[in-house]
This record gives sequence, C-alpha cells and structure tokens, in this order.
Amino acid sequence: MKLTSEKQMNKFHLGISLGLLLLVGLICFLTGRSFLSLHQEEPIFPSAGLTRQFRLSHYLPNLSHTPGDTRVYLFEGQEKGGNILILGGTHPNEPAGFIATVVLIENLKVKKGRIFLIPQANLSGFTHNDPFEANPQRFFLPARQGIRWFRYGSRLTNPVHQWPDPTTYTNPAGQKLAGTESRNLNRAYPGQPKGSLTEKVAWAIIQLIKSENIHLAIDLHEAAPEYPVINAMVFHERAAELAAMALMDLQMEGFDFRLEASPPNLRGLSHREWGDNTSALAVLLETANASHGRLKGKPSVALIVEGRDNNYVRAAKLGRLFVPYDERGIPLSRRVARHLAAVKTLASYLGELFPHQKVEFSDYPSPQELLQQGFQPFLHSPRQER
Amino acid sequence: MPDYLPLLLMILAFFILAMGFKIQIGLALALSSLLGALVSGHGLALRHLIEGGFGYLETILIIATAMIFMKSLQKSGMLDAFAALLLRSFHRHRLLLLFSMMVLAMFPGMITGSSTTAVLTTGALAAPVLMKMGLNHLKTAAFIAMAGILGMIAPPVNILVMIMGAGVDMPYVGLTLPLLAIVIPLAIIFTLWIGSRGVKSLKQSELEEIIASLPVSDSGWRLYLPLILVVVLLILQSTSFPLVSQLGLPLIFLGGALFTWGLHWKKLNFFLLTQEALEEALPILSILVGVGMFIQIMTLTGGRGWTVLAFLSLPPALLYLGIAISMPLFGAVSAFGSASILGVPFILALINTNAILTSSALSAIAGLGDLMPPTALAGMFAAQVVGEKNYFRVLRYCLIPALFELIFALGFLLGGPFLDKIF
Repeated sequence: MKLTSEKQMNKFHLGISLGLLLLVGLICFLTGRSFLSLHQEEPIFPSAGLTRQFRLSHYLPNLSHTPGDTRVYLFEGQEKGGNILILGGTHPNEPAGFIATVVLIENLKVKKGRIFLIPQANLSGFTHNDPFEANPQRFFLPARQGIRWFRYGSRLTNPVHQWPDPTTYTNPAGQKLAGTESRNLNRAYPGQPKGSLTEKVAWAIIQLIKSENIHLAIDLHEAAPEYPVINAMVFHERAAELAAMALMDLQMEGFDFRLEASPPNLRGLSHREWGDNTSALAVLLETANASHGRLKGKPSVALIVEGRDNNYVRAAKLGRLFVPYDERGIPLSRRVARHLAAVKTLASYLGELFPHQKVEFSDYPSPQELLQQGFQPFLHSPRQER
Repeated sequence: MPDYLPLLLMILAFFILAMGFKIQIGLALALSSLLGALVSGHGLALRHLIEGGFGYLETILIIATAMIFMKSLQKSGMLDAFAALLLRSFHRHRLLLLFSMMVLAMFPGMITGSSTTAVLTTGALAAPVLMKMGLNHLKTAAFIAMAGILGMIAPPVNILVMIMGAGVDMPYVGLTLPLLAIVIPLAIIFTLWIGSRGVKSLKQSELEEIIASLPVSDSGWRLYLPLILVVVLLILQSTSFPLVSQLGLPLIFLGGALFTWGLHWKKLNFFLLTQEALEEALPILSILVGVGMFIQIMTLTGGRGWTVLAFLSLPPALLYLGIAISMPLFGAVSAFGSASILGVPFILALINTNAILTSSALSAIAGLGDLMPPTALAGMFAAQVVGEKNYFRVLRYCLIPALFELIFALGFLLGGPFLDKIF
C-alpha cells in the first residue's frame, strides 16, 4: 500500500517536473523568438543620389562578417570638394541621430564634394535592449505610403557579441571607466585594430576619417532632459570657429543650441579623439530625449516618437531639467529637425571658412518642413520601393 | 491608472506572498512582477520578465563561481590552515590582528569594486580567525559585511562612482583622496566598534587548544597557491593587463576552483563541491532573478520614474533626507542600480557642489544598499559564510556602523564647500 502511494507520489512529481520543463521550454521559445527578431535589420531606401554603399570593414578587414560591420553610404558629387562624415546610431537608444541619417540617405543628392553617412554606427547595439529600461523594441513612423519600423536598441554593444565586461575598463585613450563602458562606442575611440568588437568599430571609423580625408565629422546623439550637456554642440578646439558661426545661424532659425568645448580630460569620446587623432573638425550634437531619461514615466512608442511625458513636465517645474519642457513635449520630428539644421549649417560654414572644402547638395530635407509636416514626406514607402 | 498604483500592488503582493504564504523570496518577487504586468495592462509581459530576470546574469555568474572557489578552498583545508597561521603570528596583538582582518576583508572589494567578491573571498578567510578570537558568529558576519562594503567604496576601484561619473561625464580621476578620507576613518571605527568589543586576548594554552582543534593539513604552502593565483589575476585585471582583463571575474574564480581541484584531486570531488556550493547560493541567485524582473516591470509600469521624481520633488532642505533614505533603500534592488537610477539625478540636483566629493559621499551611501533585504548581497553572504540562516540577526549588528557611515557620508556631502578647499 505504502509502495503504491510512493509510486503515485513519484509519478506526481515527475508530472510536475515535466510540466514545468515544458513551460520553461515554451517561455524560452517565445522570448527567444522575440529577442532574435531584433537581429532583423530595418530596410533603408537610399535616394537616387547614392553613389556607393559598402561596409565599415572596408577600413578594417578583420571587422568583416562581425556584428559590428555596419553599412556606410557614400554620396559623391561630380565636382571635387570637401568631405563630410555624419554618424548616427552610436547609441541605438538615441533615435534622433539614427533617423536624421536615414532621412538624409533617403533624400540627399550631392553635387560637389562627398558625404559619408553611417546610420547605425554601433550596429550590434541595435540587436538588444537595455535590461531594466523596459523600452519598446521598435518604433514606427509614417512614410509616404504606409508605416515604417525602426529598432530602438541599447546604448551598448550586445553582450552576446562582446563578453565578458572587465571589472573596470581602461579605454584606448587611457581613461578608466566602469566595466560596462567597454561596450560603449563613444568611449572606445581611437579604438584598436585587434581590440574588442567596439574598439574595432571605433578604429575603423578613425581609419575612414583618415583615409577619406574627412574635413568635418559630426556625431549625432541624444541625452536625457536632466543631463547638463543637452541641446548642445560639443566641439573640438579646432572646430571652435566653425561651431560658433553655425550657432548664430541656428539660433536665428529658432533652434536653441549651446556651445560646449570638448573637455581635454574626458578621453575616448568622438569629439575629443576624432579631433586629436585625425585632421577632421569634430563636432557632437545633442538633443533632448525623454524616453532616454531616468525620470521617464511608462516607456512606450508614443514616448519615443511624441516625446511627451508628465514626469518631465513636473521635473521642469521643479527646475530639475536643463531644457525647457512643457506639455507639448519634444517630439522626434523636432529632435531630427534640429540635427538636420545643425548639419546643414555646419556644412555650409565649412565651405565659407575653407572654400576648397565646400560641399554642395540638393534635395536636403528641410528642417522647417519636417517640423510642420512630420516624417511622411521624407521617408520612402516600404511597399513601393520593394 | 496612476503610475504608482501597479508598484504599490506589486509591493503588497510581494509581502503577502513572502511573509503570509512563506513563498521563497525570488519566486514571490517574480509572481508580484507578473501581477504588476497584468494589472497595468501589459499582459504576461514575458519579454520583459525574461529581460529583467537576466539583468543580473553577470552578478549571478560571479556569485556562483566565487562560491565554488570558496567551497574548494574550504574543502582543501586552506581556510583552517590560514586561521591557524594568523592566530600563531598575531595572538598577542589582538588590535593589530583585527585591523589586519579588516584590511584583508576589504582588499578584494578595493580591486573589484564588489562587496560580494570581498565577502566571499578574503571575508571567508577572515571569518574563522575572528571567531577563534572570540567574536561571536553574528558579529563576525557583521564585521566582514561592513568590510566588504568599505572595500567596495575604497579606491582604486569604486564602480559606484564610475557609474555615477558616466551619467554626468565626470572622468574617474582625483577620487583617491576623497574616497580614502571616507573609508579610513570608517574602517577604524568599524573595527573598534564591532571587533574590539567581544574579542578576548588569548593565552598561549588557549591558543594551542584552538589550533589543535583545527584539522591539520600536510599540503603546506601549496594550500595557498589557488588564492595567490586568484588575487594576482584580480590585481592584473584591475590594471588592464593584456589578456587577463578579458577574462572576467567568473572565469577567474572558476579557474581558481579548478586549480585547487588540480592540486588536491585525490581529496576533492569537484562535482560534489560544485553541487554543494550552488545549492547554498541558489536562494540568493533566485532573489537576483526575481529582483531583476521586479525592477523591469517597475520601470515598464512607470513606477521607477514616479519614485525617482518623488525624491527629487523634496524641498532642498529635505533633499539630503531623501538621499539618506532612498539610496540605501533602493539598494534592496541593487547598490549599482541605486548609483545609476538615483545617484545620477542627485549629483545633478547638487550641481553646484564639487561632483568628485558628492559622488564619493553618494557612493558610501549607495554602498549601504548591499545590507538591504531582500538582496542584501554583502549581508546575506556574510551570514552564509558564518553559517547563520537568519540574515536579520546579522543586520542587527550592522545597524549602528551603517548608521554611522550614513551620517559620516552626509556630513561629507554637507561639508562639501569646506572640503572642496582641502582636496
């Protein structure tokens, strides 16, 4: 009798164990599918002005076939002129830089000089989300016909691609940082050809700047509204005059920027290392992104695109923010328009300061139109293009 | 639904499940997170539960491998041999021995920035010595827990400051003096407060008796090789030595454990000791998974932003009170999380003060989070090292030193304008 009940108990436990195992398997399958879906790249439809598209490994062959081998889009004019590099997606959780470069790729035509665009500088960072931030995996924007989707990634390289983090990270420029920063592209400059994946990407970008004789290099970012370096144009000292001239024009256009000199002791960042290690004039642009901050309310697609958050309205009233912020929020269209206006103005003053470095282009997306009409006129239809 | 409501329901559900139904803490956290997702209209939110649950994977691996390493040292007889060696050498100078135990227990924290590593490595070495000196096991646990926290704050590696620095673009330079100014007085005070009260001087006959009770090992200096290897690797890693810096703490600890097994393979059953170590670590590891889920759902439902803003909304006079309460409290989730989520906004709220001094003081306050249940990484492991199952009995002895650290760090914050001229 006792033996039978023991057998029954064993059977019961076996049943429970198998049931739990199946449940775990099902959860692994469903969530694994969700995480892996982030490896699918969003389509980008270049304009007719695109001259060439290639991978960053062109400048560092051992980057080839790695998750960091991102696309480079080259727009080349008939005439020789200046060379400009524009980087978006250094931090894939700062979508304004990414989308600004996408909008440029899908519309731009260059008549004179060359423009290099990298929309997803840290391509690996687009394949995962930051744990504990609970951000959506994707956000959606209206296109000429239909809706386009874009990934909202992480600030850092995917740990699946670069692991483990050291306890502390001394970057190639000698700055000591928390270990997780070893996966932050904007702390890894000037990079190392045989370093980590992130350092290789940084190294390849530096090689691009050097070998293509880039005159002006711009890194597009976003920051939380409570962060002091916000709505800023951070410039390397050699780019001070260019930045100051651009600032006046931008303010007249209604875009409030403030100038920040690149701190000489903050090493590993683009505005410092591009300027120190290459002949390019280096500038980094910041806008205010509420979905990026520690004070944000519920993370959502609407928060990313519309940029409205009641917590930030309250924080602004408490004087805790470094940008004006009200119930209207700071929508993505405005953040992208700021970037586009600043890039255009900087490019224009490059030609004024150094006439042989002049870059001329057409079909440049108008920041004012973007403010008024949103993204629809500037993004190709997903169906039409296929 | 207001942003705070799902959070309040989650907290309530957690207490009912953990206290009322006595469900294991990790599971209670996971279930209350699931409830939070459901009531806030996010459905099962499987992706978020798993993403949050894996948020502490690195910490989990460090703890699991450090436990295996310590178990292998214990089984090899090294811990007993080390206790005997120190007792023979220092038994007439109990204060000197106590201070050396404090420095020893702090050391791994100083080079890894992790209190858990400190408690589980040299903290576990110091524990038997302290107990043989006459300190009861609860005070011993409190001693090594506080040493671990001080080690985490002490230079050269203070990850809490690094995290806060990354949030405000402050380079990790010029911190040695301010951090030492916080840590050294606290280390002296903690040693005297916890250690000297209750430790007895040992007569030669008592000492011989104690030493005779320790298991004898004929392995000699070979016993210490695995620990020396791990300490050397930890130091090399902190100096960014090529290749070693890529290893990471889990591999270093696992390598140390395998090396111990290689030296004593006749005596040790590696699979059995691994099983034993993981069995002991499992309850805490499951808490980390549960906490990860909890914080992810707390963010998803808007509870995190609401909490941060609530503290930032305090009037200036109460801001320091907010810091004193919220940062250690948030440490219940994670001290590193506290530095990132609260530390950065607090530095920005105190933008007119010296950021180096402010972040140093805030790191001392955030570090106390490692005593805060349910995670209480430093405290829980210290309790485990001395064989105490009820962490709250250890926490009782940590309260006064923790309170002192809090007041001292607040004084550092308030005295910032004056201290600014010194550092």
